[in-house]
Amino acid sequence: MMTDDATLIRSARFRKEREASLSRLESLVARAETQGLHRMSFAEARDLAELYRQATSSLAIAREISLDKALLDYLEALTARAYLSVYAPQERLGGLVRRFLTEGAPQAMRAAWLFVALGFLSLGLGALAGYLLYFDSPDWYHVFLPPEMAGGRGPEASTAYLRSVIFSDGEDQDGLGAFAVFLFSNNTRIAFLAFGLGVFLGLPAILLTFYNGLSLGAFLALHVDRGLGWELGGWLSIHGVTELSAVAIACGGGLKLGAALLFPGRRTRRAALAEAGRDAVKLAIVAAIMLIAAAALEGFGRQLVQDTTTRYTIGWAVGALWLAWFTLAGRKPA
Amino acid sequence: MRRARKARAPRPNPHELMPPEGVPISLEVAAIGTRIAAQLTDLVVTFIGSVALVILLVVLKVTDPDTIFALAAFLFFAIRVPYYIVSELLWNGRTLGKRLMAIKVVAEDGGTLTAHALVARNLMKEAEIFLPATLVFTLDSASPLASILTTLWILATLVVPLANPRRRRLGDMIAGTYVVRLPVPILLSDVSRGPVPVRQAAGQGFSFYPHQLDHYGVYELQTLEALLRAGERPKGGAAAAKNHAESLAAVIEKIRLKIGYPDPVPEAERQAFLKAFYNAQRAHLEQRQLLGERRENKFHASAEPAAAPDATPAPATEKT
Repeated sequence: MMTDDATLIRSARFRKEREASLSRLESLVARAETQGLHRMSFAEARDLAELYRQATSSLAIAREISLDKALLDYLEALTARAYLSVYAPQERLGGLVRRFLTEGAPQAMRAAWLFVALGFLSLGLGALAGYLLYFDSPDWYHVFLPPEMAGGRGPEASTAYLRSVIFSDGEDQDGLGAFAVFLFSNNTRIAFLAFGLGVFLGLPAILLTFYNGLSLGAFLALHVDRGLGWELGGWLSIHGVTELSAVAIACGGGLKLGAALLFPGRRTRRAALAEAGRDAVKLAIVAAIMLIAAAALEGFGRQLVQDTTTRYTIGWAVGALWLAWFTLAGRKPA
Repeated sequence: MRRARKARAPRPNPHELMPPEGVPISLEVAAIGTRIAAQLTDLVVTFIGSVALVILLVVLKVTDPDTIFALAAFLFFAIRVPYYIVSELLWNGRTLGKRLMAIKVVAEDGGTLTAHALVARNLMKEAEIFLPATLVFTLDSASPLASILTTLWILATLVVPLANPRRRRLGDMIAGTYVVRLPVPILLSDVSRGPVPVRQAAGQGFSFYPHQLDHYGVYELQTLEALLRAGERPKGGAAAAKNHAESLAAVIEKIRLKIGYPDPVPEAERQAFLKAFYNAQRAHLEQRQLLGERRENKFHASAEPAAAPDATPAPATEKT
């Protein structure tokens, strides 16, 4: 038997020298994958990182000098697995949530203020147009709000009926049910669509938000026409301040994505999209949080609070809280 | 006027990832079918979770039957979105479905997956996959424009992953991620190791002259490696063994003819002969490679002259 090193060809010697450390790396990788790096001891974690770097250099050498397919395949796969466990995300969930709420979200809102303002602008312009068009001709009402969406509240409904809806005691729905139904209402869909479609050059986001404003304006005009403007304002305010802001913010996020595609500057479009995504995603999460808050206000608040002044107070106070969050939180001490 | 011509960079290999260490790592891009299967598994998991919650709520009489569908839809959504994000964050880019299918999300820049990337790709999943999927159910012939738009949207989201080599959907592009297949490291034995075969008749090993080793390349060597491996661990019954013996004989005849090896190889020494030839050939090819000449296959001799002119760039035409 002549199995001593001298008779082995060079790449076989290369392999023999490394087999022990490679199999140790393999067992460490298996542990890191099943338990997670943070449960491994310091020595093990250190060895994993150390052996991984050795393995990458072994791989680079083996690609040059070895034709041993077994070793090459093994090294490729093992290095890849080791890479994946060495570079695994190490963040804790709680820390992430806190960082988002205290820093990420408000900073993103401030960074994208122009797009959010554009969102509010298209919503406001839409509302104005809808309002004026209704007084031009009430026929516009059903163009903006199809009968199945208006729920019987149209120009043909009696003033008494409109008033009864505003001040219904809501016995037909329990809080949780109303909460859920609300979330699947028109505005949530609009918010999602406005964000998602923003990628397609931003135009759909503006159009949708504008359209949302149109129906809002026409709805408002109908009630003003019947002398119910103040009451409807209260009815809308309690959740609408939060909800419509969410729509505008979602639109702003979509616009941010669309603008990155339209005006990438000196970057590639893909790079611009990825960069804009950092803020846009935060805007989408903010919009989602606000929609859930609006649903809670709608589901539990609107039926309980029947007084119009209180409705105004709650609605705009919550709105002021959002604004305070966006403008004050996460500022670095000067 | 002189127009700067953009040099066309060679297309990077989609199955390679560059980690910070600077040694490219092979990670095969996951196939679309595998990803759909993982997606369906995750859908089933989250669906069962939300149905269980709804049943719990009904049993506790928290809700009434009128709003149960809206509530169920909301719960499905409220469970689904965090499920993808949290599982990919805690399990390093793998949901339950991805674990089952042995695929995982990686960052294209070779760094760590960030929370932002995972949130971005999974939020876009809502807009890309779930929203059009629910819109399909609302399609009606009454509004042709909406139907056409929805169909276009669905087509666009389907085409995007097919149109790029790393099979990335829009969410992947925004997040800077893609999905790979997890490789399985299995170390097979080194065929060149073990007892060096000794030729019984002459009392010495098989030996080859350098010119006899100039015929084959890496491809043939690694094919021979596979054949030798099959001989080391015989599988199957007598028929398979007979089959293997026949192919050994045929291979040896081919090699002998090609390299001009004069002596016939007796049946008992076939495996030993091939092993000796493998060792000699591998040592020879590895040495050539070390000297800068990698021989891919047996056509290396004829391929060389053709490959040479590529090194000199074509003369650039300039407009003045």
